[in-house]
Amino acid sequence: MPKLLVCYKWVLNEQDIKIRPDDLSLDTTRAKGKISDFDRNAIEEASLIVEQQGGTVDALSYGTPAVKQSVKDVLSRGPNRLLWVGDPSAEEADACVIANVLAAAVRKHGPYDLILCGEGSSDMFYQQIPARLAALLDLPCLTFVQKMTLEGSVLTAQRKLGDCTEQVSVTGPAVVSVLSEINKPRIPSLKQVLGAAKKPSEEIALASLGLGADDLAPRAVRKSPKGFLMNRKNVVYKESDAAANVARLVASLAAEGLR
Amino acid sequence: MSILTAEQKQIQAEAAAFVAKEVIPFAAQYDKTGEFHPYLLDAARESRIFAMAVPKEFGGLGYDALTQAVVLEAWGYGCAGMGTTLAASVLSMDSVLVAGTEAQKKAFFEPMVRGEIGSFGLTEPSAGSDAGNGKSTAVKVGDEYILNGSKCWITNGGYSSVFVIYALTDPSAGMKGISAFIVEKGTPGFTVGTVDHKLGIRSSNTVELLFKDVHIPAANLLGKEGEGMKIAMKTLDMARPAIASLSLGLAQRALDESVKHLQQLYPDKAQPGQTLQFKLADMKIEIEAARQLLYHAMSLRDAGLPYSAESAMTKTFSSDIAMKITTQAVQLMGSFGYTTGLAKLMRDAKIMQIYEGTNQIQRLVISRAVLAPARPAVAVQKGGN
Amino acid sequence: MSILLTEEQELIGQSAREFAKEYLDPIAAELDHTGTFPAAIVKQLAAQDFLGLFLEGAYGGAEAGYVSLVEVVENLSRSSAAVASILVNHSLAAYAIQRWGDAAQKQAFLPALASGGTLGGFAVFEHGPTPGVGPDALIATRHAAGWALKGTKAYVRNAGAADVYVVLACTDPAAGAKAQAAFIVSAKAIGLTVGPLADTMGLKGCPVADLVFDDVVVADSALLGGPADGPIITAETLALASVAEAAQTVGIGQAAVEHAAAYSKTRVQFGRPIATLQAIQTLLAETATDCHLARLGLRCAAKLMDEGQPFMVEAAMVKQFLARNGSKLLIDTVQVEGGFGYSEFMPLPRLFRDIAGTTLLEAPADYPEKTIAAALLA
Repeated sequence: MPKLLVCYKWVLNEQDIKIRPDDLSLDTTRAKGKISDFDRNAIEEASLIVEQQGGTVDALSYGTPAVKQSVKDVLSRGPNRLLWVGDPSAEEADACVIANVLAAAVRKHGPYDLILCGEGSSDMFYQQIPARLAALLDLPCLTFVQKMTLEGSVLTAQRKLGDCTEQVSVTGPAVVSVLSEINKPRIPSLKQVLGAAKKPSEEIALASLGLGADDLAPRAVRKSPKGFLMNRKNVVYKESDAAANVARLVASLAAEGLR
Repeated sequence: MSILTAEQKQIQAEAAAFVAKEVIPFAAQYDKTGEFHPYLLDAARESRIFAMAVPKEFGGLGYDALTQAVVLEAWGYGCAGMGTTLAASVLSMDSVLVAGTEAQKKAFFEPMVRGEIGSFGLTEPSAGSDAGNGKSTAVKVGDEYILNGSKCWITNGGYSSVFVIYALTDPSAGMKGISAFIVEKGTPGFTVGTVDHKLGIRSSNTVELLFKDVHIPAANLLGKEGEGMKIAMKTLDMARPAIASLSLGLAQRALDESVKHLQQLYPDKAQPGQTLQFKLADMKIEIEAARQLLYHAMSLRDAGLPYSAESAMTKTFSSDIAMKITTQAVQLMGSFGYTTGLAKLMRDAKIMQIYEGTNQIQRLVISRAVLAPARPAVAVQKGGN
Repeated sequence: MSILLTEEQELIGQSAREFAKEYLDPIAAELDHTGTFPAAIVKQLAAQDFLGLFLEGAYGGAEAGYVSLVEVVENLSRSSAAVASILVNHSLAAYAIQRWGDAAQKQAFLPALASGGTLGGFAVFEHGPTPGVGPDALIATRHAAGWALKGTKAYVRNAGAADVYVVLACTDPAAGAKAQAAFIVSAKAIGLTVGPLADTMGLKGCPVADLVFDDVVVADSALLGGPADGPIITAETLALASVAEAAQTVGIGQAAVEHAAAYSKTRVQFGRPIATLQAIQTLLAETATDCHLARLGLRCAAKLMDEGQPFMVEAAMVKQFLARNGSKLLIDTVQVEGGFGYSEFMPLPRLFRDIAGTTLLEAPADYPEKTIAAALLA
């Protein structure tokens, strides 16, 4: 009966974020939190596995104290237990720091037969955490997974690569990152939502993970995020000769590199 | 005592009789199928009611504004969709009345006297409330204009013989470059596009008009080039109260049907409880106020006095109370209201607040009149009194 | 809104919103065109535990309470108020049986009502203004095998689709409205027929029809509550209906104001988006305000229900407020969209037709005022 871990991130819902038109800075005051999109698929995949073959799913997250808001949401989607590290340091943490924290939590609460992650987070999309986590834990890492099965300790996965797919199998513990096409997360039923409060959740103090200042110091520093507004070119071709207009449009598209 | 003359009352009775016979029995059916049916024109031909605004010298009935209002109220009472058919046809010929030469009037009015109908073509996808923002063009070539573009939400478009179409003769002049033209059905390049399926007034035909290199004789220009918006605005002033009339008919019908139903529900009592009684009383007050405001506006017009603000007020007030009253009627009559003809009245009422100038545009017109420079105040003598 | 909702209630609302987006948005317009009862959707409602939402866990319910109910109803209504209507009317039957049923009745009906195996309906009104009075009134007379029901119930929602109805019948024509009892009647009962489907202005897909009882015999065990409990069962269940239907009204209004706001940002007239015009802003602001205040009012009534407190006055207040202001939510948002708002190729006309069905007052149409006044003047 496998013991699974799914790592997830609690992010701001990008639909609630407004871009200030004068300086393109982001207004996040009305933004609510949500489970990062691909992480939803990871949670669902883990839940499906244990529904089919038994076992347990722990969910783990490292975020600011706001991550506490995610507890019932995540637990209503299948995991048996939730572990969370809520610390202001998460705001500035880079991929190295995040991986260090998650790895330390895994060492404390593991070992796990399988660790699932989303391919990248909805907000930063580093796509680094699964690989870094696997390296720190000395585990194999399978990324871009669009299909997978777990039989005993053998994991078979199909990876999506550019214009081909790759079949891979791994025996023993591994880290897997999944794409959104791996499954369609079900909507939590009322009973699942109400049952979430009854499931265990545990806050892990960052200090208890035995990480040094170096492990927690971000080296890639994010300056300020800016919104991107697509401005229309507003070029109008309106000579009376339709053929001439088409020719000019085609020429301008070709000049921009479209073939 | 009534503001209507004996002759007007007679015409009112005739209109009510026609509506009872030819409109009311068919209204539900055509609402359901969402079709316009030309039977209405056949039935109305003898009475020449579609030529009610055509001057007598052209063979029309030459009804004054108040008389037209009274007729339209009767039609609105019977079916707001069929009433819209009549009102929109009158709207189209009002442009010709405003700016047409004798020859143009003759050409436009003759089909109406024969029982055919017309359309007023101003609205385009880019020109709704911003009526002067249309993109259709009319380029002068020799002794013709070549028309290109499209119109949308044109009432009667699929069935009209004659149209008044507004287009830019001088695109660089914006609104001041719009001109008005008479266009006849069947002119090559002039076709009817999609039919709109609407929430209400479903028996009214509402379509897209498409113009591709349509050649029209220069003699079809109404007034002068560039006068289009002036003509359109004068036309709408004249025509707005028609919507007030239709709305009034709708509201009256909603009240009458509600009362009928209540009398059936409570045969032994004179009336239901006070809560409901007073709601009916409020409806009655609003309908009567709407009627007097409409009649006043029409009397001003018939007397040749300025009536632009009153025209806007009556359209706004009537349509707003019609919406309120039809809504309340459905709700107070419960599931009965929700599953019978009362529901149609509520759907029909909504468009009255929108077409021929939304009630927001009307309020712009009215507020301008309200905020216009004040007349000098009368000097007050010292010492009071 | 989180100041008034628990975390669970927020998540429940979120689930309902996701459900509505995924399953109702794609079919809402089609359902309105065909009016065909959406059996597959009802099964999906059951899978989400919506059909047994406030029923006790012992019977398979989710015990999620009434604030959760209105959260679900509002969120479903933003996409399809017709589907929400099916749920609301089913819930009325479930409520009545849970509240007044004896152990045997609860065991017999609640598990299937919770699981979706049985769909419920609630039949109170008649064509005459006072149930129990008039030639077609539904009368229950004592019978060797229990009771015989004869008469007609009017405009019953879920009629024909429901498997079981909670029905109000008059037990003593001489006493008229005062002698009413409620019965649980199977749709399969011999002598019970469903009249032709009514042509409703909106909420199409939730069937509405008369139920005709031609000497339908039911056992004593079909009596719900005591033989004189009809009035209280009706009053309280209709109070729940007021609250749940108010949630529908608010959901439809919310969808309309969002659609109109989005439309106004893209519709350019006079060289600018109409969203920049105060006239439009006023219409949207008033709609949003009425919607918001109504939501708070109905949530308050639902919370009183969750706490087992009296709630009928608050329910009547919400009903009365929306009777006056409900349809206005769509009158004003259609106005924002102008001609486009009147075209059935766009969504607002359906919302206009739907919302009117959520604020109806059945004859004698004065009961919200009476309820509130009675409380004030006691």
